[in-house]
Amino acid sequence: MKDYSHQFRTCETTGLKIHLPAQKLIWVNAVSAVVFLLVGAVMAILIALTRWPAVHLLPQHLFYRFITAHGMNMLVFWIVFFEMAGLIFGASAVLKTRFPAIKFAWFNWILMIIGALLVNYAIFVQGVDVMFTAYPPLKGTPLYYLGIILFAVGALFYSFQFFFAVGIAKKEGWHQGTLPLFTFGMLVAAIIAVFTLLEGAVTFVPTFLWSVGIIPESWMLDSTALYRMHFWAFGHSAQQINLAAMVAIWYLLGTLTVGAKPVNQKLSRIAFLLYIIAINLGSIHHLLVDPGLTSTYKIVNTTYLAFAAVIGSLIHAISIPAAIETAQRKKGLTNGLFEWLTKGPWSDPGWSGMIISFVIFGFIGGVTGILMSTEQLNVLHHNNLRVPGHFHATVVGGTALAFMAVAYYIIPLVLQRKLISKTLAKIQPYIFGLGILMVIMGMTFAGLMGVPRRHWNIELPGIFGGADAMLAIMGVGAIIAFIGLLIFIGIAVLSVFFGEKIPSKMEVHNPPFPVKEGVSDRKTATT
Amino acid sequence: MSHDDNKMHAPGTFVLALIFLLWFIVIYFVQWFALWDNWPIG
Ligand code: HEM
Ligand SMILES: [Cu+2]
Repeated sequence: MKDYSHQFRTCETTGLKIHLPAQKLIWVNAVSAVVFLLVGAVMAILIALTRWPAVHLLPQHLFYRFITAHGMNMLVFWIVFFEMAGLIFGASAVLKTRFPAIKFAWFNWILMIIGALLVNYAIFVQGVDVMFTAYPPLKGTPLYYLGIILFAVGALFYSFQFFFAVGIAKKEGWHQGTLPLFTFGMLVAAIIAVFTLLEGAVTFVPTFLWSVGIIPESWMLDSTALYRMHFWAFGHSAQQINLAAMVAIWYLLGTLTVGAKPVNQKLSRIAFLLYIIAINLGSIHHLLVDPGLTSTYKIVNTTYLAFAAVIGSLIHAISIPAAIETAQRKKGLTNGLFEWLTKGPWSDPGWSGMIISFVIFGFIGGVTGILMSTEQLNVLHHNNLRVPGHFHATVVGGTALAFMAVAYYIIPLVLQRKLISKTLAKIQPYIFGLGILMVIMGMTFAGLMGVPRRHWNIELPGIFGGADAMLAIMGVGAIIAFIGLLIFIGIAVLSVFFGEKIPSKMEVHNPPFPVKEGVSDRKTATT
Repeated sequence: MSHDDNKMHAPGTFVLALIFLLWFIVIYFVQWFALWDNWPIG
């Protein structure tokens, strides 16, 4: 085995051994994520101000273009680049191991960055207005689909590399025994990612071939129902990845902020496994009014089967606060029922971000999601603004905020830079949380009044007058949330480039469980 | 480390779970009433 022992530094706070080439990869993926977050944020404020009737900012064609750009840059590029950083972190630093195949990892990043740039080029320069779902007959340019495919291939390769890295950690003796819970959660995310990205290929390779004229128009138009089903086998599973990654980050933040240890690791792992079992179950909630599917199929998929994932989430919903409460009580915060919570480190953005994300995700995103999956109730809001109201509670108030919260730890601990402003970091989760809560509420209630999603102008039918106040709440919330995002992006980028460097000791680090000479790999694996 | 050290002691979490359950029940029934209101039968 090659000698890697001189490529490690020791984190003085956590004792983690950080493989320097992996640190660079985490850096480049995290920075890419934040750059696309900025693009997505600018789009967000523009479309939100368009949907606020009193402002009605953008012209019609730009509204649909910018919705497309917003959805892709946020839900795909920001989230997935950040998850790649998480995968690398989980398979290297957390296991105190080396990250293998560094060049391959850079190649994957290049694939993803080219993909992301192509998609943005297609949207902004070629004028692709297909929106996030890109349902045919809406047609993008070849570069749009090619960009998505390249990005997905890069992410797929990263997932394989994650499995390989975990294998290497065991095989070379860097790590022994069960995986730490964070890495286990990321493993689940990576497994779901493989399924998701293969479904992505089933969705976007044919549409790509259609866009270059190889698949005839008539075929595609005959297969729109099939497209929608495959799109959501991909699109919804992608949200299961985000879910698994977010939950893994909640566990990590519980440990980093107050030293929480999962009270029942086994149960937490089972809950993660339920996400795999439920990998694609429930995805038909996107198609509950689709005429191509039978009611039985819809109901079985979205209720009985989807509950496997719901039960998983409910287990985490108990076990994470229980772990935090147990840790806090041990520190003497034992008064009443909630002293452990009220006396938490509220000025630590890792803590406040985690709690706000937990509450928005669980109490709003999770609950509305289950309800919307009920076939009868689905007609109440299908394709109206309640749908974005729901998923801004899950992927934005939940996932995106959890990612930001953990970034406040990743920057000093992994990227070795002090935050340029602790004060701004302190208030950022509150600003963003408040803003996005208003966006969610405004969208939800406007939706309840019947306001459709993805509509440039709802004044024409003249029947949504009462919803103006709700859309105003959404608009004001969007401004606040936008400011929250800008603060985060400012802190992250400025800290990473100009923050004070945190020195760290380079320490020789060898596998603590070395493979004995002359013993075959197989034998060590079983002993 | 004694066994007790590791034991979960989380009455607050239990109460939070009950609040969540209550919240879910309320929202769930509100939805059905909203449906009834929006799509009256007969
Ligand atoms: C400042 C924060 C944000 C604001 C103000 C905001 C606002 C909006 C608005 C107004 C829409 C269009 C709703 C419609 O007319 O149908 C939208 C759509 C969307 N947003 Fe956001 N958003 C924010 C952050 C995010 C983030 C962080 C994500 C992903 C992680 C995200 C994912 C999406 C997606 C996937 C769509 C749907 C696009 C489509 O319909 O094709 N948003 N958002
Ligand atoms: Cu879904």
